Amino acid sequence: MNGIKRAAVISNLADRLWKKGSWCGETHIQKAGYFLQELLEVPLGFDFVMYKHGPFSFDLRDELTSLRADGFLELLVQSSFGPSYVTTDLGKDIQSKFPKTLARHRNKLEFVADKLGNLTVVELEKLATALFVTHDQKRHDGTEEGRAGELHRLKKHIPESDAREAVRKLDRMVEELRA
Amino acid sequence: MTKSIHEVRDPIHIFVRLNSQERWVVDSRPFQRLRHIHQLALTYLVYPGATHRRFEHSLGVMELAGRVFDVITSLNNVSNDIRDLIGPIREQEQLPYWRTVLRMAALCHDLGHLPFSHAAEKELLPENWNHERITRSIIESTEMAEIWSKMRPPLNATDIVKLALGKKEAKDLEFTNWEAILSEIITGDAFGVDRIDYLLRDSHHAGVSYGKFDHFRLIDTLRILPSPRPNDEMGPGEPALGVQEGGLHSAEAMMLARYFMFSQVYFHRVRRIYDIHLKDFLKERLDGGPFPTQIEDHLRLTDNEVTAALLHAARRKDKPGHLHADRIVNRHHFKLLYERNPNDIKVDRNAGKSVFDALCAIFGEEQFRHDRFAQTGGAPDFPVELGNGEIVSSFLKSETLNMLPVVSIDNVFAERQIFEEARQLLKENRDDIVRPPEKEN
Repeated sequence: MNGIKRAAVISNLADRLWKKGSWCGETHIQKAGYFLQELLEVPLGFDFVMYKHGPFSFDLRDELTSLRADGFLELLVQSSFGPSYVTTDLGKDIQSKFPKTLARHRNKLEFVADKLGNLTVVELEKLATALFVTHDQKRHDGTEEGRAGELHRLKKHIPESDAREAVRKLDRMVEELRA
Repeated sequence: MTKSIHEVRDPIHIFVRLNSQERWVVDSRPFQRLRHIHQLALTYLVYPGATHRRFEHSLGVMELAGRVFDVITSLNNVSNDIRDLIGPIREQEQLPYWRTVLRMAALCHDLGHLPFSHAAEKELLPENWNHERITRSIIESTEMAEIWSKMRPPLNATDIVKLALGKKEAKDLEFTNWEAILSEIITGDAFGVDRIDYLLRDSHHAGVSYGKFDHFRLIDTLRILPSPRPNDEMGPGEPALGVQEGGLHSAEAMMLARYFMFSQVYFHRVRRIYDIHLKDFLKERLDGGPFPTQIEDHLRLTDNEVTAALLHAARRKDKPGHLHADRIVNRHHFKLLYERNPNDIKVDRNAGKSVFDALCAIFGEEQFRHDRFAQTGGAPDFPVELGNGEIVSSFLKSETLNMLPVVSIDNVFAERQIFEEARQLLKENRDDIVRPPEKEN
């Protein structure tokens, strides 16, 4: 996906997250972008590693900064937890130039926004890390217990009981997607 | 009696102190090479004082890293939540080891720089290589391993790599919260000491005041803090490097310093075009091949060898790279024809590229250079500890951070002989050249 189409997809994702009640901070876009790319297979071309609040892409972070520099997104302060990303008129205008690209990914964008839009940073961290450990099978046996144990090992501040619940929630989401 | 603490005079930190074991690293071949790598490449052709080297910058980064470590690990400065979450702080006995690892990582973080530092390494190194990868090879080399193993306690090279490069450049390594915070001390977007030192040092040597800020106050108020989170979320948030409310103005001053230094020094138009001419020269000298990544070859190449080749090629028309060398040495650099314009960006996000392509199609590719670069890293969002102990986002407390622009350039440079003609053509055809993308059918 080229840069300008990707800008249209990211700003559209931000719009959809807002509509679902998301506070739409960087973590929300990072984790939604991760699900969109790694679970829904939208080819955004970002490289995700285990870092801040779970899977994190330095490329996506730079892309958000670049979109701000060019006026497609802007920051809005509305809570004490960090700024939100808002699509500008220019960002909406660029979406209107790529109707086919957005139509192709519409259901996937909607699925991600629907599932993640109302989650808090902590819930996003648990769920996205659950997907990360599920995809990275080197350190566990693939069972719910194995993946939850790995999640807790990677993110010590997440209790094992919460890790198990996150893995179950992810599995339900994957089943729904398959159905 | 042999001295156990050594002092190096420094224009920014007055004294940089190191012990005898740390001095083994300073005396090593890879570190001594940094005496011959300019911190700001050819910037001295614009700001004549900017001739400082990576050597003193790296010493400064080590000095600052030690100071930050002492502040953030002092038990008076750590909350119970953070102490419980981070083993080395809770247990204390590992702290001296990690302090040395951090200082050595700071010292070594720039070992892999090519001659003239950042100038166009992407185009000059083999695919998937950058200076950070060379830095890692050197830290893990047999030569450095001998030093790490001689130190007491012995240091683990992988620990040094993690802290020197951070997660972004060491993606294959797993970082604990503690290691992520320590690497943030060096490489962090908000308070990395690499950045603190280069802003202060570059500002000092370039002779501009923009890069100065109260780093003493900033460092004294740094803390490991939980990320801010809503009241209905249980448990502490992921720990990160933040600042007490009293240090927020110093943090703002640092972010502003960065903005001004980028605008006025690092993205100075003439500095940028010299970097491009240097890249063109090196590519021609290398005859299409990449810079060496083998450690011995890397250690042999410094700014001195490149400068000698540049001066020689500028005098001799038969030498590869003569034209580019002449442009640098005799100051015949290309002139700025087009620069980023917010109104153009509204119409065409790739306006500079559109201008470049249109002019190249008429005058030929050799007559123009396109230079696009946007600031990297995230928004300056970090935790701030208020007087009542509450943790909030920096954005909530700082109007300045909210308003901070992102620095971005999109330049087109032209050869002097066709400059006027090209400028006229652009003026007459601007609306045809810079136009919105066509709607997808």
